[in-house]
Amino acid sequence: MPKGRMKTLAQTPAGSVVTISRLESHPDTCNRLREIGFCENATIRCVTNGSSQMICEVCNTRVGLNYTTANAIFVLPQDAGKDPENRERTE
Amino acid sequence: MNPAATVTGTIAIIGNPNCGKTTLFNALTGLRHKVGNYPGVTVEKKEGRVTLADGSDALLLDLPGTYSLSPNSPDEKIVSDVLFGRMPGTAVPDVVICVVDATNLERNLYLLSQLTDLKFPVVVALNMTDLAEEHGIDIDIPALEQAFGVRFISTVARKGTGLTELIAALPGASTNEGSIRRWYLPELARKEHQELVEMLVRNDRLTEAAAYHEAQLLLAAPAVDDSYHGRYSPETLSHVRQDHTVLHEGGINRHSVFVESRFKWVYSVYNMAVKHRRTRTVHSISDRLDAVLTHRVWGLAIFFLLMALMFQTIFTWASYPMELIGAGFDLLAEGVSSLIPPGDLQQLVTKGVIGGVGAVVTFLPQILFLFLFLGFLEDTGYMARAAFNMDRMMSTVGLHGKSFIPLLSSFACAIPGIMATRTIENPRDRLVTILVAPLMSCSARLPVFALLIASFVPDRHVLGFIGLPALVLISMYLLGLGAALVTAKLLKGTVLKGPAPAFIMELPPYRLPALKNTFIHMWERSVLFLKNAGTIILGVSVILWFLATYPKMEEGTAAERLAHSYVGQAGKFIEPALTPLGFDWKIGIGIISSVLQREVFVSTLGTIYNIEDADEGSTSLMERLRSDVDPVTGAPTFTLLTAICVMVYYVLAMQCLSTVAVVRRETNGWKWPAFQFAYMTVLAYGATFLTYRIGTWIIS
Repeated sequence: MPKGRMKTLAQTPAGSVVTISRLESHPDTCNRLREIGFCENATIRCVTNGSSQMICEVCNTRVGLNYTTANAIFVLPQDAGKDPENRERTE
Repeated sequence: MNPAATVTGTIAIIGNPNCGKTTLFNALTGLRHKVGNYPGVTVEKKEGRVTLADGSDALLLDLPGTYSLSPNSPDEKIVSDVLFGRMPGTAVPDVVICVVDATNLERNLYLLSQLTDLKFPVVVALNMTDLAEEHGIDIDIPALEQAFGVRFISTVARKGTGLTELIAALPGASTNEGSIRRWYLPELARKEHQELVEMLVRNDRLTEAAAYHEAQLLLAAPAVDDSYHGRYSPETLSHVRQDHTVLHEGGINRHSVFVESRFKWVYSVYNMAVKHRRTRTVHSISDRLDAVLTHRVWGLAIFFLLMALMFQTIFTWASYPMELIGAGFDLLAEGVSSLIPPGDLQQLVTKGVIGGVGAVVTFLPQILFLFLFLGFLEDTGYMARAAFNMDRMMSTVGLHGKSFIPLLSSFACAIPGIMATRTIENPRDRLVTILVAPLMSCSARLPVFALLIASFVPDRHVLGFIGLPALVLISMYLLGLGAALVTAKLLKGTVLKGPAPAFIMELPPYRLPALKNTFIHMWERSVLFLKNAGTIILGVSVILWFLATYPKMEEGTAAERLAHSYVGQAGKFIEPALTPLGFDWKIGIGIISSVLQREVFVSTLGTIYNIEDADEGSTSLMERLRSDVDPVTGAPTFTLLTAICVMVYYVLAMQCLSTVAVVRRETNGWKWPAFQFAYMTVLAYGATFLTYRIGTWIIS
């Protein structure tokens, strides 16, 4: 996955680690996401990704999302091997 | 808030969802607690007594889980209302125990930073430190104490570790005077925020701490609409509107700036105080479990298999204690008969009170097994996965997985189910969930189902492993679920139309169940059930006995005397409306008397058949139902088809006035509960009529 290419969280395959770039939804939804840990620059690990919903790990907690929500979260791929600090924090 | 931080008064437990708050509450209070509601709302209010180090008692409040003090749902609003003294009947806490999950500090510290900002006297229970140790997480507690200016006590609530230290630390709870608000806002946001704080203190008479919090909420609010008028002075609101413009023009995202700035500081503290000794393997056991349990095919298959197992074991395991209870009531009736001379008083006590109450209490073991299973599934972390799986199904009817948790809770009782809808942010989705929740088969229906299934469904095995009685029981639960989904679809497509909701839900880690919590919950439900049996059911049984005994007829058989009684006359009056459903007048009396609550149906039959069969000595209610015949035609009153029709009626009808009252309170009026009562009654009547007609056609 080329670095710098932004995609939504819904497009992220299971097992990959990404960084949140921005949130685009209703302010209330965005704030709820931030409070749960989906902040700009937070590191997310995608645990499973089904056809309409997914499980992610953020701040050491698993969160289930449907695609309506996951499509509001724009992420950048992260090369986990080059950033062990973040990798440790999210796993 | 009392700045002196004495703990002889009230202590509140606060924390994120799934951080172990309730486990800590149970560990501190044991069985010395009670469950009620906050006035005006149906959010559960759990309070108990805790003994402090000096031997005195203090009131301990278990507040709903919340991620922050900026409420997103009615449930979370309770937390800020209690803390800010806006909840009538609830004292402002003298001390706050903030429970922080040691394995999830990054996010949990956010709420703590809000509490310490507001100068609440706080003691932190750094919970689940054993799991943190297992995960290789090293936490520098002195560094955290210095950053937040409050005491951190390491606890493992599930094992009772650290509780003595936590209790000992309460009198010294500090208010973080020295190290307040170390997070920084961009200069423009800081300036506008500070101005607004001063204005709120000056114009709206808020304390400095409350103004600090309110100013953030006002600046981040989507818009200042009519709902704010009356709560703040016009000058303040006008200033807030100007601030919105100034921040927008200054290029600041006012919706996110406060959350982001605070998180930035929390992360810096986290990185300073927490070290990971090792990296967990990517494909952990939880990953593998999630891959299977939330799989679109296997996940659903496992869910339905677990449900089948649950209902099968409810039937088999509960039968032994049920027989014992039944035998106990028979013995009691015999004993009482020998003490009281024959006559009306003896009949009232043995046939009315013991017969009626005993018929319902016999089903207590089944209800306890249901709660044992539901508690086990919740404790292991599976319940949230079930809701996640169901999101696909729920989204087809316009709801999301979060609505499934209230529906699952309604398997136990619709009232906590309706209370659980308070976690749903969207008001329309919440209303739809409230309107369909009573269609889920609650534990009050279980005695009705269990009696009729045990009496009329043959005890055969199907597919080699599951008994026919369990299969019929599962079918009743599935009928309720199906009816709830179809009704939700209709409502979401018509009167409560709205876009597909966003779904975001925390999935707690898989854990071994804390059986103590489950047993405490089972104990609470037993007390509630027995209290009900000793009050409402006892009352109805006595009234029914009276109505089924008078006016007296000196001659004739017991059946003729019953037909002559007030109950008999009333039953005959409504019989024409029930004949199309295959019901006779005795079933009709059962239905009418159980409008208050469903399990009264069983006690009503218990009382009626006790009186009717007074000539035949002691036989079980099941045997009486099976042998009852129409005195005119000689045909059996109850058949397998009648039993199924009664069950279908009870699945779909709103036979619970407590639920009606709760829905009225939750929806602030009579419009929706009236609608709910009407649609469920029509649905129940129509579906029972169809079942009877189709069944009769198949049999013929």
